[in-house]
Amino acid sequence: MLPRQLIDMSRPAQGDRIRACVDDTSPGGPLDRAVAQAIADALFLDVEYVPALTGFPINAEGYLAEMEIHLHNDCDLFMGIAVQPSSPFPEWAAMTRPYAEVPFVLVTANPDYDALADIPLGSMIGTALASLGERVFITTMLQRRESERWKRLPYADFDLMTTRLLDGSLQGMVLWEPAWTRILASNSEARDLRVIALDPVPTPVVQVGALISSHDTFLRTEVDAAIEALTRDGTFDAILAELGLGQ
Amino acid sequence: MIKFTLKSALALALSTSALIGVANAQGVRENYAPVTNDMVLDPPASEWISWRGTIDNQGFSSLDQINRETVDSLQLAWAWPMADVGLQETAPLMHDGVLFLQTNNNIVQALDARSGDLIWEYRPALAQIPAEWGYQNYQSRRQKNSIALYEDTVVLTTVDARIIVLDATNGKVLREVQAFDYNVGYSYTVGPIVVNGTIISAISGCSISGTAGGCYVVAHDFETLEEQWRFNTLDDPSNPEQQASWGDVPPENRWGGTPWATGSYDPRTNTTFWGVGMPAPYAALVRGSEDGDTLYTNSTLALDADTGELKWYYQHLPRDDWDLDSPFERVLVDIEENGETRHLLVSVPGKNGIFFALDRDTGEYLWSQETVYQNSVSRIDEDGTVHTNEDLMLKALGEEVLICTSVSGGKLWQAGAYSPLTQRFYVPLTEACNVVEATQTEFTAGNATGSMRFGPRVLPEGITEAGLVEAIQVGTTRDEDGGWKVRQRPSMTSSLLTTGGGLVIGGDAGRYVKAWDQETGEVLWEQRLNAPVGGSPMTYELDGEQYLVVPTGFSAAASSISSAFPEIPLPSGTGNSVFVFKLPNSDS
Repeated sequence: MLPRQLIDMSRPAQGDRIRACVDDTSPGGPLDRAVAQAIADALFLDVEYVPALTGFPINAEGYLAEMEIHLHNDCDLFMGIAVQPSSPFPEWAAMTRPYAEVPFVLVTANPDYDALADIPLGSMIGTALASLGERVFITTMLQRRESERWKRLPYADFDLMTTRLLDGSLQGMVLWEPAWTRILASNSEARDLRVIALDPVPTPVVQVGALISSHDTFLRTEVDAAIEALTRDGTFDAILAELGLGQ
Repeated sequence: MIKFTLKSALALALSTSALIGVANAQGVRENYAPVTNDMVLDPPASEWISWRGTIDNQGFSSLDQINRETVDSLQLAWAWPMADVGLQETAPLMHDGVLFLQTNNNIVQALDARSGDLIWEYRPALAQIPAEWGYQNYQSRRQKNSIALYEDTVVLTTVDARIIVLDATNGKVLREVQAFDYNVGYSYTVGPIVVNGTIISAISGCSISGTAGGCYVVAHDFETLEEQWRFNTLDDPSNPEQQASWGDVPPENRWGGTPWATGSYDPRTNTTFWGVGMPAPYAALVRGSEDGDTLYTNSTLALDADTGELKWYYQHLPRDDWDLDSPFERVLVDIEENGETRHLLVSVPGKNGIFFALDRDTGEYLWSQETVYQNSVSRIDEDGTVHTNEDLMLKALGEEVLICTSVSGGKLWQAGAYSPLTQRFYVPLTEACNVVEATQTEFTAGNATGSMRFGPRVLPEGITEAGLVEAIQVGTTRDEDGGWKVRQRPSMTSSLLTTGGGLVIGGDAGRYVKAWDQETGEVLWEQRLNAPVGGSPMTYELDGEQYLVVPTGFSAAASSISSAFPEIPLPSGTGNSVFVFKLPNSDS
């Protein structure tokens, strides 16, 4: 239980502003920003971007306490949460409906490969640490005989993973599509790398949503309605297309 | 997002901390007697000058005015509110009539140990850490024992990975060094030892992605703060066995191995002993190390204090799959047996609560003994080979296993204490289990590497009392019937203190500080305070009077398992305080 002293219990006096906590260091940051703006526009609100809490895995000892403080004190919307079963968030946080579905991709340096199946078994594949893509990759490998598996190394630093792909230490890397587009934009050497099919690993797709304090039931209802409307009228598809995602 | 360069942040910190240091120098302690190196090695019985009182980490004071017969007459001498909120895990020190109290955000206060009056306060200008850096902010509210006394200084390790040397007489900054780069995730959570002119410390934050491949015990020259050596717990190219123990995982993909409890020191062999935490990612399935032991995680390290060279290691939990790390206090004990002195290292090093006795000269395993219910280790061979329970290792993502103890322990940072009077090691423990599941963690704060979901802490089946104080008979062989166990509903939340008065002193989530009889475990005195008892109780003597210092405050060890004792409500405020008791009939 958190000391209540750490929670800002004052009634917000923010007028027409909605505070959207966005992690701009995350590959999903641009998507989360654009979606927050669209939601605010739909609700006739001004959006204020607040740097989102980072530095923890969502399940680490202490993270949920920090997150509870952050959500209560700083955020109306905490953008960029994977909407998934077995969410770690307890009763103080509610999840919106997802506003985007974004896949993981497999990237390779070898022009002869068109799919994971073309990469020799036993080769080393890098995976984005603790990601849904890594999870699906591991699960698929566990279902295959040992002689029919690819090896895997987890990476938290995607620039390092790209370097290892370019120097031949890795034959492929699995990462979230927004992370890949960010690498493409920042690393000229990555231009020769290609996205290929993940077969025989199923393509993992992340449903992305936001957290709202469970006290804000009215806000959650309004945001969910906005997400539904913006999904239906193609606004989110347009945002994804503009960012080169979900193609 | 705001970006800081290390240089600019350090410059800002230096300039501002100098100003603050002056601003906070409310008072000056005149004629302060320096803590000499000899005193570090053999402290005056009347003082408490390091985390566990002595550099062997025993947690024992020979003072005996407060004893079995007198303890129930204790009265409050004075109390003091701590300078900041947050988790309270402090370890007050006392030298030459000054009580040094380090609290969260690296605030240090010097108090008159007789009256509790403030002499000076040091509030560091910590490098501005963006509010969204959750891990670092959490750590800054969770400082444990981050000061050491040496000569006429206070040596402080900080949440932004600096070592700061303060003038003990007025709290002014004398010198400091940015020991590690906080920008990539490093932070200090425990204090150093200072001996023979060397500051030996250990860095935390090694589960953050930016710190891949490097987690260190490090030595700095006390005078110049120049680095003398560092030992990497994750990468030891000189030991092929260590390299092989990570399988195909190269150093740049290794995390964890944090030595997050202050080490001990043996002057006889010039050896410093440190415990090391878990590997990350927590599950072998995710970290890719397969059936490798992931050395030196969950190990005791014996390092040459002059060079940092590894003398020996012993691994207490190979192939950890559940974040049951083993960094806790390593206690040095000499035992006379058959006319021979045996030099032991004893410890409950890990969250799973298993006690180990090692020969500290060789690292040889002598014996072990379980305390709380645990299922992480299936057996330990006579040669000391630990068999981690493979049945409970995660075989698929999404699979849940119930592991005992929980990620909160069992044993946690709360240190046990040894008494040479009884040759027993007394340890505060919690009965708890939790479900674990390897899971994905991206989008929010994806730059830490644990990758595991922990369920609520629950009591093991058939157990109704969370708290346990266990006395373990120490010798070269196991004597399972030589100790005692005292169980209670609320969890234990403080370190223990043993005294020459035959007492074991500590406290719990129910806000009670208690004194147990070292011989029997009988509760001889208890006093309810304002908040869970936390940190590390200690004792000292001034003007012929013995004082007992008891920190209280917000406690994760209380809240994490509070559902096991719902009849005891926890305070909603932090209440971080220090209470000081002494016997009546004194007029000072």
